[in-house]
Amino acid sequence: MILYDAHHLAPCYAVRLLAGCLGVTLELEPLDVYPGHANQTEAFLALNPLGTLPVLVDGPCIITDWLEALAHLALTHDRAWFPAEHAALIGWLGMARDLGASAGAARLIDTFGAPGDAAAARAQANALLDEVERRLWFSERGFGERIGQDWLIEGPHPSIADLACFVFIAPCEDGGLSLRDRPALRRWCDRVRFLPGFVSMSGVFPPMANTGR
Amino acid sequence: MSGLQPGVWYAIAAEHDLPKDHVYRTMLGGHELAAWRSTDGAVHVWEDRCPHRGVRFSLGEVVGDELRCQYHAWRFGKTGACTFIPAQPDLKVPRTIHAAVWPVALSAGLVWSGIEPTGAPPELPPGAVLRAIPIARAAASVAHALVKEPLSGLALVLQPLDETATIVRGIALDDDLVRADHALLALRRRLEQAA
Repeated sequence: MILYDAHHLAPCYAVRLLAGCLGVTLELEPLDVYPGHANQTEAFLALNPLGTLPVLVDGPCIITDWLEALAHLALTHDRAWFPAEHAALIGWLGMARDLGASAGAARLIDTFGAPGDAAAARAQANALLDEVERRLWFSERGFGERIGQDWLIEGPHPSIADLACFVFIAPCEDGGLSLRDRPALRRWCDRVRFLPGFVSMSGVFPPMANTGR
Repeated sequence: MSGLQPGVWYAIAAEHDLPKDHVYRTMLGGHELAAWRSTDGAVHVWEDRCPHRGVRFSLGEVVGDELRCQYHAWRFGKTGACTFIPAQPDLKVPRTIHAAVWPVALSAGLVWSGIEPTGAPPELPPGAVLRAIPIARAAASVAHALVKEPLSGLALVLQPLDETATIVRGIALDDDLVRADHALLALRRRLEQAA
């Protein structure tokens, strides 16, 4: 499988992270998006007319949506990451896309000079981060973490929703947001970081000591 | 700095905020703090700053009974003393290299600290420990609002973050955490939307 990739883009990171957790080796095709605009060349636009990254190519299958790429990897390698019986999966993937348009946008505006309204992005992100924090406490059946509910979707296994949200939440301080007063989010980030196969990106600290437990 | 009274215990975390192998991060009166648990269950509250290069301890990791800084992996033991410097493995670490340690007390399911606090932390009635709610208002404003319109069934304490923000913590006497959360979020909206 080939991943057209840019290291600093959170949606590309999400695909690399899931591949790491699944133990799948991707053939990376790095593109110089910033500052080179390699995603606007005719060759790349022929692959993905939207010019967005990542693009996952699996044989004849060309996937240009990052959430679809996560679903594809999970469905073809380990369905435990794709809990289709939970309607919440749809909600959380929507949340991830909204986090991308807010927390993710603020990070790109602040660190890569992307166009956009950083203050508006942060206001929206703060509302979403507060809501994820609240839901980590009050899962539908009780009190989240305190009844052993470690992940966004009920059950013992993390899902693609956890990773899709993580890639925007973990580096959110680069976009002028803060996790300081969101202790449940910080603990959940730790749980993701300690997953076997975890990989990092710029702005996301890898675990040092507690790997492999 | 920012209205912290010496001699007073402030709740800075709930005990459930401090699972094994986690470094909790907060602020008290403008002081950045990191808290973690050693293997004996004891809680340690330190200034959130490695004495080496000033990187936040809360970016680091708990390794058994030591806290390891993310930057150069210097390790600090339960007393706050530096125990190991990886770049100089044969060095006997000078005793002067030390994390800034804050007082700590555990009571009513909460973790308390402060500047030279005296006596025991305030007594709270039995009940369930609430989820902490940050409010972007000074502690005095939050306290004033709670005096004017007390929230029934809740025993609340305030953690001044800095001059502009406060965390509300406490106990739900009837164990109804959902109701308590709604009440605190409503308080937050009321205060933050007021001019």
